[in-house]
Amino acid sequence: MTDDHEKFAKKITTYLDAGTAEIKSGTAYRLQQARAAALASLAPGAPRRAPQTALARAFAGGSSGDSGDSGSFWISGRLWFGILLIAAVSFAFQQWRVVQQTRELEELDAQILTSDLPIDAYLDRGFQTWLTRREP
Amino acid sequence: MPFGPPKLATPQEISGFLAAVERRAYKQAMFATRDNDAALDIVQDAMLKLVENYAGKPAAELPMLFQRILQNTIYDHFRRQKVRNTWTTLLSAFGKGDEKDDDYDPLETLAAKTESNAAADPAAQYEQAHVVRMIEQALSRLPARQREAFLLRYWEELDVAEAAAAMGCSEGSVKTHCSRAVHALAEMLKAKGLQL
Repeated sequence: MTDDHEKFAKKITTYLDAGTAEIKSGTAYRLQQARAAALASLAPGAPRRAPQTALARAFAGGSSGDSGDSGSFWISGRLWFGILLIAAVSFAFQQWRVVQQTRELEELDAQILTSDLPIDAYLDRGFQTWLTRREP
Repeated sequence: MPFGPPKLATPQEISGFLAAVERRAYKQAMFATRDNDAALDIVQDAMLKLVENYAGKPAAELPMLFQRILQNTIYDHFRRQKVRNTWTTLLSAFGKGDEKDDDYDPLETLAAKTESNAAADPAAQYEQAHVVRMIEQALSRLPARQREAFLLRYWEELDVAEAAAAMGCSEGSVKTHCSRAVHALAEMLKAKGLQL
């Protein structure tokens, strides 16, 4: 690694350090909270907590209380139950739509095939005109 | 020469280490994910893993261990995102669209008080913020491994062996990635008219 590389990298990291000082206060606060949560598990006899993701926080309704092991388990359980339920309902809905479409196509095919009118008639340009003229 | 078990990190040392590293860790996660919530989750996850699994290690080992955990957590995020994207594509017909406004946090609009007085002049402050933004954008565009190597070597000041251990690759690879990263950054910044 040349000295030029080192100098260039040093300049870049100086600017990066300046960038970390400009972190928004909301973000800095959340980082501080994350650190406090991590350090809380250092205390003797402290229960181990699963990290709470943004998604889990949303499902938990933004509550910030100490839920401990059982709380995390229930949050996680509810989350997965919700996801599975949504997936199951979506899958069932799609299956129902496919069955409906197939049934409609089958009915159309059956009507066309059992009709006295030959299929070629539908392609005839004059047929539609003739039909409209015959309507009262 | 006395040989004994290495001195283990005290809670104060761990706390001090996390306080010193949290902002850089957040920035690293941001460069990789470009997602504020994901970056915060990654840092929180990495901190918890370090404290829960490696609190009994010597303080000198914490930087390398934390960086390794952080990089792995970033990879895990991308793996999970891949699975999630598969489901999202599958269920896209039921999507509700943009929910960004729900995440608006008024606190985010306030910048934290800067700790340095180097850029007290508004013009200089603006200029510095502009340069920082350009550098951060350039870093985000680097290939993941190059960015990782560059940040570990120069920003986290790990030596080549430690960076290689944190990245799970050879020392030669770290040197190559670093060299390429420096060249790529210099090119990108030069293309934007920025000479450092």
